[in-house]
Amino acid sequence: MTSSREIEHIAASWLARRDGEHWNERDQRRLDAWLDASTAHRVAYVRLDAAWQQSGRLQALGAGWRAGGVPPRGSWATPHTGAPALAQPHPAATPRGWRAATRRRSWPHARLLAVAASLLVVVTLALAWHGYGAVEQASYRTAVGELREVQLADGSVATLSSDSRIRLTWSRRERHVDLEQGEAFFSVAKDRARPFVVSADARRVIAVGTRFAVRRDAADLRVVVTQGLVRLESDGRPDGPHQATTLLPAGSVAIASDGGVVVHSGTVQQAQEYLSWRNGFVSFHDTPLATAVAEFNRYNQRKIVIDDARVGAMRVGGNFRWSNTDAFVRLLTRGFPVKAAARGNTIVLSPR
Amino acid sequence: MDDSLNSWFAREILVHEGALMRYLRRSWFRREEVHDLRQEIYVRVYEAAARSRPTQPKSFMFTTARHLMTDRLRRERVVSIEAVGDIDALNVSVDEVTPDRRLDAHQELKRLADAFDRLPDRCREVVWLRRVEQLSQKQVAARMGISEKTVEKQIAKGARLIAQYVHGDRHAHRHTRAGEQETAIELGHDQ
Repeated sequence: MTSSREIEHIAASWLARRDGEHWNERDQRRLDAWLDASTAHRVAYVRLDAAWQQSGRLQALGAGWRAGGVPPRGSWATPHTGAPALAQPHPAATPRGWRAATRRRSWPHARLLAVAASLLVVVTLALAWHGYGAVEQASYRTAVGELREVQLADGSVATLSSDSRIRLTWSRRERHVDLEQGEAFFSVAKDRARPFVVSADARRVIAVGTRFAVRRDAADLRVVVTQGLVRLESDGRPDGPHQATTLLPAGSVAIASDGGVVVHSGTVQQAQEYLSWRNGFVSFHDTPLATAVAEFNRYNQRKIVIDDARVGAMRVGGNFRWSNTDAFVRLLTRGFPVKAAARGNTIVLSPR
Repeated sequence: MDDSLNSWFAREILVHEGALMRYLRRSWFRREEVHDLRQEIYVRVYEAAARSRPTQPKSFMFTTARHLMTDRLRRERVVSIEAVGDIDALNVSVDEVTPDRRLDAHQELKRLADAFDRLPDRCREVVWLRRVEQLSQKQVAARMGISEKTVEKQIAKGARLIAQYVHGDRHAHRHTRAGEQETAIELGHDQ
C-alpha cells in the first residue's frame, strides 16, 4: 500500500504537470483515473490544490512591486491590527488625533467654497509620449454637495465624494490616480499588468482588482477596503529601498498618519458604513456631535457651527441624509437641549 | 470531480489542519504515523460528507480523529495502559483543544506571506514568477535558465510546502520534539 507521504508527492506532481503548458486531454483522463482510484488520492489532491489556489493571492503582495524580480524575505510588514481605539467603524471611535484632524480640515473647506461653487467637473485629456509609452491624463473634481461617478478608460469606476479632486495618469505600466483633495471610492477593473495606484503625497494605495475608498484629512489618509486586497505604502523613511507596506484585505479601515498606520480589521459590512456617503447618507454611532457636524459640513455649503464645547461633546447616532441639513438640525433641537439659529450662511448650535 | 464537495472540504475542514495536527501530535504516540492518520481522517470525513455534509464540520472532524485513534489502539493490542488512558483524555471538548479560531482574511494573507518566505530560494523564485508574475512554466524556465522539468518539480515542491505551511503546520518542529520525548517514556511496547 502506498504511504500517505508518497500519495502526497504523486498528487503534487500531478498538480505541477497540470499547471504546465503540455497538459492535454489524455493527461486529464489519467489524472481523473488516479483520483477515482482512491479517496486518499482525492483528498491529497484537493488539499494541495486548495493551497495552490490560495497562493494566487500572493499577487496581492506583488501588486505594484517596483523592484522587479523576487522581493527579499520579510518584505511584508505586518500592520498593527485591532487597535482598541478603532474597535467600532465610526468616527466616534477613531483616535483623538484623527478627530482633531477632521475638525481642522473642515475649515479650509470653507475657504474653498468660492472655487467649488463653479460646480464644474474639469476634464482634460492629454496624450504624450512619456517614458514607457502613451500617457493619458485627466482631472475630475466635484463641488461641495456633489457626488460624481466617473467611468474610467480601463473599465474602473471612481466615485468622487463632495469637494474632491483626482488626477489620472494612465501609462502602459501603471494606472495612477492622484487624490489631490477629499475622498473617492474606486471599483477597480482587473489588469494584472497595470497596477492601480492611488497616491496622496507620500502615500500610495495599490490594487490589482478590488474596491476601496481613499480619503484625505489634512496630513492623514484613510483607506477603506470593501473587496479584494490593497497595499498601502508610505515614503519618506530613508531606511532602505523597501518601504514598510501594509496589506489591507476587505473589511479593513486603515488610517495612516505621521505616527504610522492603524488598521481595524472588521467585516465588509462594517467597512461599508464608512462609505454610506455614496448613497447619500452619513452614519453615526455614539459619535460626538462635533465630529458628526464636521462630517455634515463636508457635504454642504451651508455649514453648521457649534459655539459651545458641551454641545460638541453630545453623542448622536443614526443614519442621516447628508443633503438634508435642516432635518438633522431639527432632530437635534427636538431631542437635545440645543437651539439652532441661522446666521448668514451658517447654522449656529448653542445650549438651550 | 465534485467541486462543491471539494470547496466545502477546503473551507470547512482543511482550515483546521493546524489544530488537527497539534491534536494528533499530542494524542498519538508514534509521530511518524501522524501524517498517515491525517490522511485517514480526511478520507473518512470526505466520504461521509459526500453522502451528507455534517452540520458541525470541525467537531465532526475531531470526533472522527478520536474514533480513528481508538480503533487503531484496539487493533494493535500492544499499547500500555497509559496510552489507553490517554484516549479518555481525548474526550475534551473540541474548543478547548483548539483555541485557534478561523483566521480572518488579514491573518490568512500574513500566513500566506510567511509560508512563501519559508520556501527554499529556488522554489520561492519559481513560485513568485509563476503565481505573481504569471509567467508560464516555460517562461519561468527561460528566465531562470533552468529546464522546464526542474520548474515543474519546484512547483510540485512549492505546492506541498505551501499546503503544509498555509494549512497551519507552522510550529511542526517545536511540537514534535516535545511530543517525541514524552511518548518515548510512556510507550509500553511489551511484545
